[in-house]
Amino acid sequence: MGMDNLARELKRGSTELLILALLEDRDRHGYEIARLIEERSENAISFHAASLYPTLYRMEHRDLIEGRWVEKPGQRRRRYYRLTPAGRKALASQRNVWDTFFRGLNRVARIRHA
Amino acid sequence: MDWHARIRAALSSSASAAAPDEDVIEELAQHALAMYERTRADGLTADEAEARVAAQIARWKVDVPSLRHKVRRAAPIEPPPATSSSLFISLAQDLRYALRLIWRQPRFALLVILTMAIGIGATATLFSVTSGVLLKPLPWSNAERVVVLRETRGGSAPRFGSFSNTAYLAWREHTSTIDEIAAWTPQTFTLTGVGEPERIRMTAGTASVFRVLGVHPLLGSLFGDADETSPVVVLSEGLWRERFGRDPSVLGRAIQLDGVARTIIGVTPDAVAYPDRLSRAWVPMRVPLPNGNMLSMFEAVARLRPGMTAEQAATEGTARGTAAADTGMTTMAIFGMNGPVAVSARPLGEALTADVRRPLIVLLAAVALLLAIATSNIASLQLARATTRRRELAIRAALGATSGRVIRQLVVEGLWLGAAGAVAGFMVAWVLHRLARGVLPADFPRVHDITLDIRVVLFTLLSSAVVSLMFGLWPALRLRRLNLVESLADDGASPSGIGTRSAIARSRLLIIGAQVAIACVLLVGASLLGRSFIQMLHADRGFNPSQVLSTAIPMPGPSYNPQRRIATVHAIVERLGAMPGVRHVGFTSEAPLTPGGSTSSLTLPPLDGAGPRVVQASPRMVTPGYFHALGLAVVAGRALENSDTLTSQPVAVVNETFVRRYLGDRPLGVRIPMGVWGGGLQEEATIVGVVQDIRYVGSTVTSLPEMYFSTTQIPLGMRSTIATLLVRGDGDPSALASSVRQAIREADNTLGPSAIMTLEDRLLSTSLARPRLYAVLLTCFAVVALLVTGVGLFGVLSYTVAQRTRELGLRAALGARRRDLVALVLRQGMGVALGGVAAGLLTSLWATRYVATLLYGVSASDWFTYIAVPIVLLLVAAVACLVPARRAARLDPLRALRS
Repeated sequence: MGMDNLARELKRGSTELLILALLEDRDRHGYEIARLIEERSENAISFHAASLYPTLYRMEHRDLIEGRWVEKPGQRRRRYYRLTPAGRKALASQRNVWDTFFRGLNRVARIRHA
Repeated sequence: MDWHARIRAALSSSASAAAPDEDVIEELAQHALAMYERTRADGLTADEAEARVAAQIARWKVDVPSLRHKVRRAAPIEPPPATSSSLFISLAQDLRYALRLIWRQPRFALLVILTMAIGIGATATLFSVTSGVLLKPLPWSNAERVVVLRETRGGSAPRFGSFSNTAYLAWREHTSTIDEIAAWTPQTFTLTGVGEPERIRMTAGTASVFRVLGVHPLLGSLFGDADETSPVVVLSEGLWRERFGRDPSVLGRAIQLDGVARTIIGVTPDAVAYPDRLSRAWVPMRVPLPNGNMLSMFEAVARLRPGMTAEQAATEGTARGTAAADTGMTTMAIFGMNGPVAVSARPLGEALTADVRRPLIVLLAAVALLLAIATSNIASLQLARATTRRRELAIRAALGATSGRVIRQLVVEGLWLGAAGAVAGFMVAWVLHRLARGVLPADFPRVHDITLDIRVVLFTLLSSAVVSLMFGLWPALRLRRLNLVESLADDGASPSGIGTRSAIARSRLLIIGAQVAIACVLLVGASLLGRSFIQMLHADRGFNPSQVLSTAIPMPGPSYNPQRRIATVHAIVERLGAMPGVRHVGFTSEAPLTPGGSTSSLTLPPLDGAGPRVVQASPRMVTPGYFHALGLAVVAGRALENSDTLTSQPVAVVNETFVRRYLGDRPLGVRIPMGVWGGGLQEEATIVGVVQDIRYVGSTVTSLPEMYFSTTQIPLGMRSTIATLLVRGDGDPSALASSVRQAIREADNTLGPSAIMTLEDRLLSTSLARPRLYAVLLTCFAVVALLVTGVGLFGVLSYTVAQRTRELGLRAALGARRRDLVALVLRQGMGVALGGVAAGLLTSLWATRYVATLLYGVSASDWFTYIAVPIVLLLVAAVACLVPARRAARLDPLRALRS
């Protein structure tokens, strides 16, 4: 696996993790997800909203999340995403993987992570 | 800025792929708009904000190929080939295919199976009760030849018992239509000498009872003609188990019944318990010879000679009874009339179950209606499903499957679901059946014969087969007319499919109309029985059962002699009277809610110049507080008082029936002898008051003449070994239970009172038990029916709204207001509901004739019911209509037309 490949896999994996984590406590729509990723990472993850929707649709296809149109009184119809049970499971296992990964990194390179 | 149009334009111009779905474009447009608003809010100019969004759109454009929802499709299920080599193979293919289709829609299958389980389970349970009680052969070996006898004089039935000793003895000597006649009478004894003292019901019978019924002992022997005066007892299997742990060595042991030792000689099986499972033992009885004017009354049964009919026996009985000696005034006292003797004979099965036949049939009909509602909901679901499967079936037909093959496949699907429903239904029936024995009132006949036997299994299978055929065949026949070209041409958007769809929608609305009608009938029945039950609960019984606690206190001999009993009773009254929260305390020698009790004959002084009369009345010994504790109204004179003592003039209080029957309009001051009951006491008591009769509401029992004497005036003490305590308190009576227990313990700590219950609970568990059971059951059925119907209506309307999306959208686009769209849907739903209610009410007017005999204080055409039921039904229907109607109103015309 070349460096490009690894970077792409990492990026894709981390994007999915971020989305899953954001949907953990409540359902959100696409724009909200994009904005939260940027805000919470203080723009450190310059997340290209361009790749957001393909990722969402892919995750939906893999049954990790579920999107549905929701009409709320006084609001426009919006597509909200929520975690499926499979998504919840995937979030837990990805957290675990990243946790192990960071601990390994830390031990070797003394990088601290929050 | 119309981001929607702009994004569509931008993404459609992509060279690499087709434009994304409308859905995706709308989502992106939402994103763009939110982004624009946010950027503006951050303080950027409109131009800058627009530029940012434009940049975003440009990035989306790159990604067009991946900007689409990937529809996840389940792997297609291969339909069976259109033609097969053999019927057996093709059937197997159909079975497998149907099972896989069902498996794919587990929620639909679950709904169907659950609905069937409830419907079939409830129906099978009631069928098993009905079959056990009404259809099964009776457990007695001679049952089909046993008749129950009743005697009338001048057409008037006796006040207690059914048959007189004079007619009995006359017939016993000469029988030609019957093999033998037997007598029995229910009795209550206090059982002591084995475990806790207990008041138990028994039957005193002639030895011939066992021969007439064909009862054989489980253990030991039964008493014979020579034993009719011996101190022996035959236990029931239940009593033998409870008191002796089925110990076979009980034979020869003695138990005490009301302080008299009786030797156990045998045990009878519970399966042949007679007259019901409440009777726990048999003691021998001898029919007394005619003694002057005295009539002795009891119940009688006889066994017909082979080939003889009940009518022939009745004719012979009437002839023998007429030939018997006249008993004059006593006949008047017991029959209220001294006309010609008539004897009737009724087959045992009919006599035993006469009281429950009507209610059981009504309940079975009700539960069958419930099953019909459940089934039609399934059929309606199947129809909805069939609509979405038109294309599948049309394709199969196009590939060469005959219409018979397609229908067969739908039927096979129905049968699979039906089989699962039958199994689930049988499991529900099994559970309900176990509950039923506990729920049925103690005096319900033939409870031992209620079993889940082969009849019930067959019934379950048959009903589920009918149900599944109905919901498999109906949609199949509906679809048989399906037009191949139309179905295939129908891409779900063109209006060409509307014809088939609305025909199915019409069928479903018709089903719903019928469901509403059935629910209406059930609700009317439930309301009538419920209101009748409430009327019984609050009926004027002559006394006031609320806020009264009661308990029976056994005081068996020999440790309690009559004087000690009275002293104990007075000690308890004194202690309880001083306790806070207690308003009145009273004791009685006879339980107040039990009609009859012991009767004594007494000679009354002449009335209007006639000679002295010998009459029958039930004497009761009570403490002065009794009338207040029970709330028994004094209609003339006064109640017994504490000032009536051994040294004052003896007094008595009688009830209204006593006055009406024996004393005419001047009851007060009449002197009646006490001696007949007081045990040789020659004194007379003066009647100082008249109290209301206790009315046995909801029962055929009528009040008997009763006379009350005060415990404070009887030096001989109390002969009854059991006394009933009544305590009227302030507020919630059950709060007094511990005070009552404490007072009894303080007075005498060897006493073991029975359960302390409120009088209302006692009523509910006895005379009100059956009416309550019927009302509760019918109400359960009606509520389930109402829910199922409401859900059905909701389902059908949602379905039609979804189908008419384009039409409704078009209407909205052409200027229909929301209100109009809501009205459109409501009109459809409420129209069906109104039609159903009208049909239901008409049916009810006819059907309620069958419950009329079960009603008390409510007429079968009760106006409240006929107003309340339609209101409830229409309210439920309105709620069910509202959600689909609101959905119709919220339709976005543009989107509806695009869909």
